[in-house]
Amino acid sequence: MNLKNLTIKKFHEGLIEKKFSAKEATEFFFKRIEEQDGEIGAYLSLAKDEALKGAAETDKLITEGRQVSVLAGAPLAIKDNILIEGRVTTAASKILEKYESSYDATVVRKLKSELAIFLGKTNLDEFAMGASTENSAFQKTKNPHDTTRVPGGSSGGSAAAVAADMALAALGTDTNGSIRQPAGFCGVVGLKPTYGAVSRHGAIALGSSLDQIGPLTKTVEDASIIFQAIRGKDEFDATVVDRPFKIPDLPEGVTDLKIGIPKEYFIEGIDSLVEKGIGEAMKKFRNLKIQFKEVSLPHTKYAISVYYIILPAEASTNLARYDGIRYARIPSVPENANLREIYLKDKGAGFGPEPKRRILLGTFVLSAGYYDAYYSKAQKVRTLIKEDFDKVFEEVDALITPTTPTPAFKLGEKSNDPLSMYLADVFTSPSSLAGLPAISIPVKNYEVGSGELPVGFQLIGRHFHEADILGLGKLYEKN
Amino acid sequence: MGLIDKNTIKKLAELARLELSEKEEDSLRGDLDKILSYFEELKEVNTDSVAPMSGGTFEKNVYREDKADLPKRGAIDSFPESEKGFLKVPPVFE
Repeated sequence: MNLKNLTIKKFHEGLIEKKFSAKEATEFFFKRIEEQDGEIGAYLSLAKDEALKGAAETDKLITEGRQVSVLAGAPLAIKDNILIEGRVTTAASKILEKYESSYDATVVRKLKSELAIFLGKTNLDEFAMGASTENSAFQKTKNPHDTTRVPGGSSGGSAAAVAADMALAALGTDTNGSIRQPAGFCGVVGLKPTYGAVSRHGAIALGSSLDQIGPLTKTVEDASIIFQAIRGKDEFDATVVDRPFKIPDLPEGVTDLKIGIPKEYFIEGIDSLVEKGIGEAMKKFRNLKIQFKEVSLPHTKYAISVYYIILPAEASTNLARYDGIRYARIPSVPENANLREIYLKDKGAGFGPEPKRRILLGTFVLSAGYYDAYYSKAQKVRTLIKEDFDKVFEEVDALITPTTPTPAFKLGEKSNDPLSMYLADVFTSPSSLAGLPAISIPVKNYEVGSGELPVGFQLIGRHFHEADILGLGKLYEKN
Repeated sequence: MGLIDKNTIKKLAELARLELSEKEEDSLRGDLDKILSYFEELKEVNTDSVAPMSGGTFEKNVYREDKADLPKRGAIDSFPESEKGFLKVPPVFE
């Protein structure tokens, strides 16, 4: 089997034409994981027996000549902050090391109903806090293009698994760029849906006004397939809004769309390879007769400050539930500890440095005397950031930007400087704050030293207009 | 600079019920100071007549029937301590 060029679509065709069985394919992926993952470190846990059982189910249906969904038998990876019933979900934190999920996340339930297969759970920055996956309490994931570099984060395990052909596709979560940034660093496609498009029920909450679940895939077409499968109303997440979604016919459906170039994203200081990459992507769109227009989003530069006030505030609230009482308890908490000691010791020993930093920061910006100066101020500037987008979307249908200011950076390069790590999200943050859908699409690999590194670009669309950016992305990838 | 002193860190950690070592207190104090001074840039933005955004896109009230579901078996199994199907908590007053 050639895993390199295998997409969900091709996988499905191969199954139907009986070129291979789902069982053979699943075994092939596990063999690949055995060979590769010692070096890459994308997975935190594997589930071979369950995966093979699921594959047998799909094979049986196909042998019986029954129709199966395009995702039937497709071997996927799931970020380890998304619950699968009966499986340990750690969020890459010691505080949940032994936490066994008692239900399926809605996205998992939906994928199960399509008979998709889960190979394993992938590594992330602890509680999805980070941009390099180095904040995992368990292991560091390496970038498959250059193992001295990070895969990005926080969905670094999912991005690396897809890039190294250790999964056909994967799910990640994106609060400020955690799907798009690792997709850019690893040379895969990553979609963050509109806030309210996909249910977060069963995803471990980080920032509840920002979190979204989305796919990391090899092609834009595959991203559309998974988005279609996981989107839609859910009684367990009241923020989900049911909106119609249909990928437009190509090219007619997208050639009238106008793309805006926000000048604030083309500032001095972006890496020369990133500049080359975005230039190349724009040239291709121009050749496809797509119209461009320069626009301005004047509050862009404040996004990181706004995000790092709002997110810690929400995260410190969300993380308060890990108190050693309701979920797992750290083994080092003494047997006869009283309630207060359980809280202090479980959190103290269970959370790593980044969650601790954000819990304290969040507690500070919400505390009396500082609430107005920080939290309330940030919420107001967030409104201005959103209004910038509202205005430009009166003139254009989508925006094009680089996904990241640099290609994948070296392991350890930013891990001792939290602020410089925060700035890695500078191009993905504003659209997250505004709740907009955005996708990162690889341009190509560029030579760096003796190796090659991928560079990606980002398309941002109007609320619930995933079809526009997926349509433009598909047009881009087919030409 | 210097918005966060050692006592502030101790107070925040106490509010969050987070046990920190001496060394952690020192490094977190430095980190928080640096991060908070970065936020100073927000002061230059005029937000006088701007309403705060609390998130979401098209949020509206969603109603459902007010009925309790018993937690699934697995939820109780995952409690660190339970008794007769209930969550067990150490005494709050001693």
